Amino acid sequence: MTRILLRNKLDDCIAAWQKAGFSVFAPVRQHEMSSFGEVQKASDMAFDLVLPERTIKDHFFPQTEPLIKYKIGKQQIDSETMTPPDRKRVFFGVRPCDASGLAIDDPLFGWDYKDDYWFRRRDNSVIVTIVCTEADDFCMCTSVKLSPESDKGADVMLRPLANGAGWQVEAVSERGTALLETIPSLLQENSEPTAPVPQVAEKFDLEKVMEWLASKENFESQFWKDISLRCVGCGSCTFLCPTCHCFDIQDEGDTYAGIRRKNWDSCSFSLFTMHTSGHNPRNTQSTRWRQRIMHKFNYYRGKFGVNSCSGCGRCTRQCPVDMGITETLQAISNLPR
Amino acid sequence: MSEPFEPKIVAFVCTYCTYAGADLAGTSRLKYAPNVRIVRLPCTGRISPMFILKALQKGADTVLVSGCHPGDCHFTAGNYHARRRWTVFRALLAFTGIPEERIRFSWVSAAEGAKFAEMINEITEQTRKLGPFTQYQELQKVIETQSTY
Amino acid sequence: MGIQEQYRSEAAALLSSGEVKLVIGFGEGSTADRRRPLFARTPEEAQKFVLDAACIANLSTYLVTEGLLSDGKKVAVFLKPDGIRSVNILISEAQLKPDQVVILGYAIDKAEITALEGRNISDFSLGEEIRSHTPPPHILQEAERIEEMNPAERFEFWKAHFSKCIKCYACRQVCPMCYCRRCIVDVNQPQWVSTSSHTLGNFEWNIVRAFHLAGRCAACGACDRACPVNIPLRLVNYRMGKEVIDAFDYCAGENSSQKPVLASFKQDDPETFIL
Repeated sequence: MTRILLRNKLDDCIAAWQKAGFSVFAPVRQHEMSSFGEVQKASDMAFDLVLPERTIKDHFFPQTEPLIKYKIGKQQIDSETMTPPDRKRVFFGVRPCDASGLAIDDPLFGWDYKDDYWFRRRDNSVIVTIVCTEADDFCMCTSVKLSPESDKGADVMLRPLANGAGWQVEAVSERGTALLETIPSLLQENSEPTAPVPQVAEKFDLEKVMEWLASKENFESQFWKDISLRCVGCGSCTFLCPTCHCFDIQDEGDTYAGIRRKNWDSCSFSLFTMHTSGHNPRNTQSTRWRQRIMHKFNYYRGKFGVNSCSGCGRCTRQCPVDMGITETLQAISNLPR
Repeated sequence: MSEPFEPKIVAFVCTYCTYAGADLAGTSRLKYAPNVRIVRLPCTGRISPMFILKALQKGADTVLVSGCHPGDCHFTAGNYHARRRWTVFRALLAFTGIPEERIRFSWVSAAEGAKFAEMINEITEQTRKLGPFTQYQELQKVIETQSTY
Repeated sequence: MGIQEQYRSEAAALLSSGEVKLVIGFGEGSTADRRRPLFARTPEEAQKFVLDAACIANLSTYLVTEGLLSDGKKVAVFLKPDGIRSVNILISEAQLKPDQVVILGYAIDKAEITALEGRNISDFSLGEEIRSHTPPPHILQEAERIEEMNPAERFEFWKAHFSKCIKCYACRQVCPMCYCRRCIVDVNQPQWVSTSSHTLGNFEWNIVRAFHLAGRCAACGACDRACPVNIPLRLVNYRMGKEVIDAFDYCAGENSSQKPVLASFKQDDPETFIL
């Protein structure tokens, strides 16, 4: 016997969470785009998506965030720190790959300096994932050793029932247990079978890829030039990635006052590593694409012991020229050895 | 009590005609509304659409762009080029929701001090009726505040 | 022989004779309905080309890749009429030399694909076709709906869309007309366009982009398709194209000898809005 949450109890569930002080976020469709947005009722949610186009990362590490407001006076400079928000939030209906993305980024934001903007949001958010019942051609979680039913990064995991009436509920962290305690009357004991998890085929051999990337002689390989020839150098793959975390600090304002902001940056931009002198160590698109792959599957692993990819496949799904991590890693694992 | 609304008008003008026209209005002791801030530029051909956009963002309620009459440009053709640019830019702003009444264009020669004074009065009155241009200013406020999430 | 085989062998012949150093075409994509740009430098690679009704991208964008044509050698490229139109505009803006581009032209009508006659840009006369071409009804209807709104509603419409923008610059990168080595948004002295992707900054960027493309857009729709957050860029582009044709009787890319519309003028250009 397990506990289930019925779909028709979802409105009550949202109300109960709101009463407990949470704002509830879920996948929504708005202005021709799907993303995570605040919801008031179950009908606001878009459950039919394999994945929303935008990631959940947006709500922990926003595309642009004010850090400091400053004013330059004749005698002194006044500044005011913009405190990171700490509102309690529930993210409902997160896919396992997006939730993993958060867990992958946690060590990055906390290793030497604890990024308050990230952790305040993380500590006040409860992630309720829904195990996938559908996968599309671009899904690749299994290739990076995750799965459509991975509980990485999740606080509560829901498994859809085969009859579509609701979800089997399981708390996988203390925070998740605490969240379920706010809705005891809405959960019921039941032994309905759950819907089958989709088979996501492994698209490349990750071990082989990592081995190839780790070999120093491959750094200057012609492979990088050939594979990235058609890359146009936009940032859509990085900005839609649940784990990409590069940012840039910009002062925006005039001579006397302004705001220091933290903005997303992308390694595919030609200005990404441009020096003030005009020299750019990554002055071609191939070196930039190499950086992206190396960062995700070599450097990040070296530092934090985990690959910086959760297999959502958005990079390929949205790429204007049909590139992406899948193709590159597939090509690497098929290289003659 | 809030202050009554005083329109802010930013005028981008060319130095050879409209600026001289404004100067003439002044030396002729013509009185006109003090709501206009004049930015003098070498030629209307130098007026980048970015100037207009920035002025609206930074608090202008109406923007005026003014230069020499066709044929009178000190640089022969600067105002002809500007005219094409404005035609397109005006259509673009209108399409993206900025009321056309907020962006005004005119030809004022160095001899038309009276026209300049009248025009500023008229634009000021019209802007007073339209009220403040708040759309961009509200967006500006938003970026100065931290998200609540 | 189908068009695909015809162009494969033609591309192979161009490469083996040394007439061109590179052929830019399409290859299979990551799914059955996707095609991806493919670059062939050898006759063998040319055998991988695919040409069918799914080949909708405008490959002319690769022609302005930094350094590609600086050695004076020729490049062949698969182009639809909108791509040929882009090449016309690029030539008229002195970004390409007409003789450096060999065009393997094709047209798609619903699921039908046909080869276009001619290999040099001067072989194609698009004037009539472009002028009489009406945009797809969904664009016309959407644009009309926006025109009917009042300014405040229009502002809200674009605010909703522009607030989604993440400044990934996919619209700029896929556009053959966005060839500036340093885009105005990447210039920071002075910083005209804020780099932050808040709604205000997104308004700046999208307005500047649309303005810079006014009278230069080939209406290929690449930006619209590339936008990962689905901003209807087609509408602004369409509106700008309409403005230059209505006001100046100018249609970008009709031929390669026209003067760019915002870099030229007529003494009797309309000025109804000027006080």
